[in-house]
Amino acid sequence: MEPWVEPAIRLGFPLFLLVVTYFIGSAVERRHQRDLQRREQRSRNLPALTFQTPPEDWQIEESALVTGSVVISIDYFKRFLAGLRGLVGGRVASYESLLDRARREALLRMKERAFDSGFGAVVNVRLETSRLASSSRRGQGTSGVEVLAFGTALKLSRA
Amino acid sequence: MKFEPRLPRDDVNVSRTHPLREAAQLVAGAALLTTAFVLAAFLAVELAVHFLPASWEQRIFGGWTEALGEQDARSAKAQAIVDRLAAHWEDNPYTLRVAVLSDDGLNAFAAPGGAIIVTSGLLEVAESENELAFVLGHEVGHFRGRDHLRALGRGLIVQVALQAVLVGSAGGIPTLVSDLAERRFGRDQERAADAFGLKLVQAEYGHVTGADDFFERLPDADADFGDEVGAWFATHPVTEGRIEDLAELTEERGWRTDATLRPIELAP
Repeated sequence: MEPWVEPAIRLGFPLFLLVVTYFIGSAVERRHQRDLQRREQRSRNLPALTFQTPPEDWQIEESALVTGSVVISIDYFKRFLAGLRGLVGGRVASYESLLDRARREALLRMKERAFDSGFGAVVNVRLETSRLASSSRRGQGTSGVEVLAFGTALKLSRA
Repeated sequence: MKFEPRLPRDDVNVSRTHPLREAAQLVAGAALLTTAFVLAAFLAVELAVHFLPASWEQRIFGGWTEALGEQDARSAKAQAIVDRLAAHWEDNPYTLRVAVLSDDGLNAFAAPGGAIIVTSGLLEVAESENELAFVLGHEVGHFRGRDHLRALGRGLIVQVALQAVLVGSAGGIPTLVSDLAERRFGRDQERAADAFGLKLVQAEYGHVTGADDFFERLPDADADFGDEVGAWFATHPVTEGRIEDLAELTEERGWRTDATLRPIELAP
């Protein structure tokens, strides 16, 4: 093996991964964003609100807990970018779009669950996040993040 | 209360910087910072190498030399050559100690604390004592230039800097660059070590016959040794220039190159 082969592979492979994951990651993100917009538009008539107690004049027929959760992982390019960002600080823009999509997806799933069960509104909506530890690095590092949206779904009857 | 379903026009939770633009800015900034840090630290190493007495160095790195273990017949023979060569180095502050590394590669290193490590492959390949003496003299030359300390310091710095910069990102790059920085002595350092090694050989044997045999044989050896030669190239870049420099120095000083070679008996 020529002496330059090994360094070329060791340098080239991460660079290759960066380029490939950038394009794949961007394509996946754009597709997800379009899908989110479409579904948000469709489900906009089902309000998801943060009140703890519904207004007095609501006639509640039935209520239930509804949840929607999503687990997301970060791609190689975004991790690289966030790693560099961690050096100087500031807004980690590469994570923002990812977590934003995760929150919207979780809320949508919750609303879709409520809609499918025939509920007309969700109140006391809360969002929770938990980190899934990576198994490969003795629980250091993060392999993904779960975003959980939950609330009380209400079936209302018009008085 | 009335509920009016409306979707926000744009998303305030996401920064609008293009990821590639951010990547370019961050990479450029990190590269600039690292370069500045590395340059400053190299300067510090240069100063430290200059001012650190050899006695301190041997106290700090003495453990390494001890870890090399007892000498056998082969390393004792090489040790004898080094001792005779080093006797011609006035005000040598080091107690040099030779160890043989069982490896088929052709290589020799100068390690902090005064250890010279020679591969068994190199001992087997050497056809005369004069040839081996030059390789050992070359390593003694690295101690005189204190190149081993400089290389160690630089390697550490580059490693630390790159690890700091590339936290959690592309992992292959730091080890690669630090390996290069750690292993390679500069061209000038190699040439200075060559010249000093040759002077020691001349002082000990009264001629420099066979000194560059090792270099001369390398291109031919390439076919036979393949990877092993690659190992030598990795730490001691052999260039035509180095052989020519040796020839020039020999001619300039009028040193003899036609004497009889001393045979080598290293087999245990």
